[in-house]
Amino acid sequence: MIGSNGAGKSTLIKALLGLIPYEGRISTDVKPEQMAVHMQFNHYASTMAVKYIMEALLNASIKKDKKLRELIDFFDFGQCLNKRFDVLSGGQKQKFTIIMVMYQEAELTFYDEVTSGLDFENRQRLMDKLTEWYRDKRDTLVVVSHYYEELEHLVDKLLILDEGRVVAYGSRQELFETYCGKVVYILDNNPKNREIASGFSAIKAPGHLIALSCRSLEAEQKLVSSLVEAGANFKRSNSDIEIMYINAKEKFYGRA
Amino acid sequence: MTVKKKCSANMVLYELRNLNGNLLPHFFGIIFPNVMSLLLSRTVGSQVPEPQRGEVVTSMMLSMSLVMPMSIMFLGYGCLYATEVEKEIPLRMRLFGYSRGCEVRAKIAAHLILLTIAFVVFAVFHAAVMHVQKPAAASLLGLVISLYAMGVIFLVIAHSIASILRKFSLTFGVIFFLYFVIMLLTGMFGIRTEQLPGPLQAAAKLLPMTYISNDFAGFWQGGSYNFMPFLQAFLFMGAAAGILLLLTPRKKGSGVA
Repeated sequence: MIGSNGAGKSTLIKALLGLIPYEGRISTDVKPEQMAVHMQFNHYASTMAVKYIMEALLNASIKKDKKLRELIDFFDFGQCLNKRFDVLSGGQKQKFTIIMVMYQEAELTFYDEVTSGLDFENRQRLMDKLTEWYRDKRDTLVVVSHYYEELEHLVDKLLILDEGRVVAYGSRQELFETYCGKVVYILDNNPKNREIASGFSAIKAPGHLIALSCRSLEAEQKLVSSLVEAGANFKRSNSDIEIMYINAKEKFYGRA
Repeated sequence: MTVKKKCSANMVLYELRNLNGNLLPHFFGIIFPNVMSLLLSRTVGSQVPEPQRGEVVTSMMLSMSLVMPMSIMFLGYGCLYATEVEKEIPLRMRLFGYSRGCEVRAKIAAHLILLTIAFVVFAVFHAAVMHVQKPAAASLLGLVISLYAMGVIFLVIAHSIASILRKFSLTFGVIFFLYFVIMLLTGMFGIRTEQLPGPLQAAAKLLPMTYISNDFAGFWQGGSYNFMPFLQAFLFMGAAAGILLLLTPRKKGSGVA
C-alpha cells in the first residue's frame, strides 16, 4: 500500500481492524481477530525487561515455546530480552514488535512503515528477514512503505491511495504496463539527455530524472540504439514503483 | 488483533512488574505514611499528656492510613496509566487480544496486592514501634474494608482522569493537586476539619476520609457511631467516580478507558 503522507493508508488499516469508525462497507471473511498489525508507532511499558512484556502479551513462555524461541533466534534478539524497551535501538524496537506480530501467525498481517527511521543497511536487513520468513508461507501481508525500491522485490499487488481515494489497484506488472508501458528507460535530467529523449515517449518522472516509455520491442530497440550511440548512461526497469506511482496519480487527476 | 486472550495470572504478574517499575507508589504508599506517622507521634504526640497520648497517636495513625490508598490507587495508578495512555499502550494490549476489561482487572488486582503489602507493613510497624491503642475487631475490620473500598474508588477516578486528559503532564498535575487538597481537607496535614473555613468544611464532609481521620479514633476500641454521614460520603465519592468513568472516551479505537 503506497501513497503520500495523509493518503489514508494507516486510517484504512485501522478501519480494517475495527479500531476507528468509518463510512462505507468493508467486505471480508477475515475478522479483525484474525489480523495482526505492526503499527507505525509501537510503544510498550518501559518499567520492565522486554521479555516479560513479550511473555505477557503473547501469553507464552520464552523457555517453553519453541516457535517463540525460533523467532527470537531468527531476529538475533536474544541479547535484547533483558533490556527495557526505552533503551532498545530503533531497529531492535522494530524487531521486538515484528517477533510478536509474526508469532500470531494471522491470516492477514499489516506492516505499517516497518522500516521507517532505520538506516539503509538495517532497513535492507530487516526486509530480507521478513521476505525470508514469509517465503514459503501462505499468509497475506499488507505492507505500507515509502521506500519503493524495497517493495519492488516483495509485492504481488499494489494499492495506491491519495487523499483518501483509491488511485489504482492491481498486480504490480499489470499496473506498470498500464501506466508506464512494457519497460522504462531512466536517465539523469540534463541538457544532453533531454536532447536525446526529445524524439521518444517521455512519461512523468521525479524532477532529477527523465523516464522514457517503450510499449513494444521495436520501440525499445530504437531507443536503446540511440542511447548507446549517444553514450548516455541509463537504467532499464519493468518494475519501477516510484515512476509508476507518479504516472498513476497523473492519470487519476487527468493530467496525463 | 489476535484471538481474544483470557485474563490470566500472567497479566496480573505483568501488571505487578509494571507497578514495581515505578517507585512513586512505593515511596508515597509505603514509606511516607509510616515515616509521617513516626514524626508526628514524636513531635505532636510528645506534647500531649501521657494518659491521652495513646488516643492521639491512634488518631494520627488513622489519618496516615488514608495515605496508602490515596498514594497507591490514586497517585500511583493515575501516573502509571497516564503514561500508558499517552504512549497508546492500551491500544497495543487490544491489538494483542487483551480486552479493556481484562487489562483493568489485572491492574486492579496488582494494585490491590501492593495495597495489601502496604497495609501489612503499616500494621507491623505501628504494632512494633508506635504505641497505638489495641482496636476492637469490628473497628479494625471496618477500617480495612473502608480503605480497600476507598482504594478502588480512587483507582476508578484516576483511571477516568487519565483517560479523559490523555496526557501524562496534565494528569499528573490534576491528580497531585487533588491529592494535596484531599489531604488538607481531611485532616491529614494535622489541621482538623473544624479549623477550616465554612465552605471547605462543607467540602470535607463530602469525603469519607474526613470521617476516618476525625471520628474513627472515637470508637477504635469499641462503642457506637452514627455511620450514616460516612456512608453518604462514600456514596457521593462512588457516584463522582462513576460519573467520571462515564465521561471517558469509549468510541472504538480510543485505546483508553
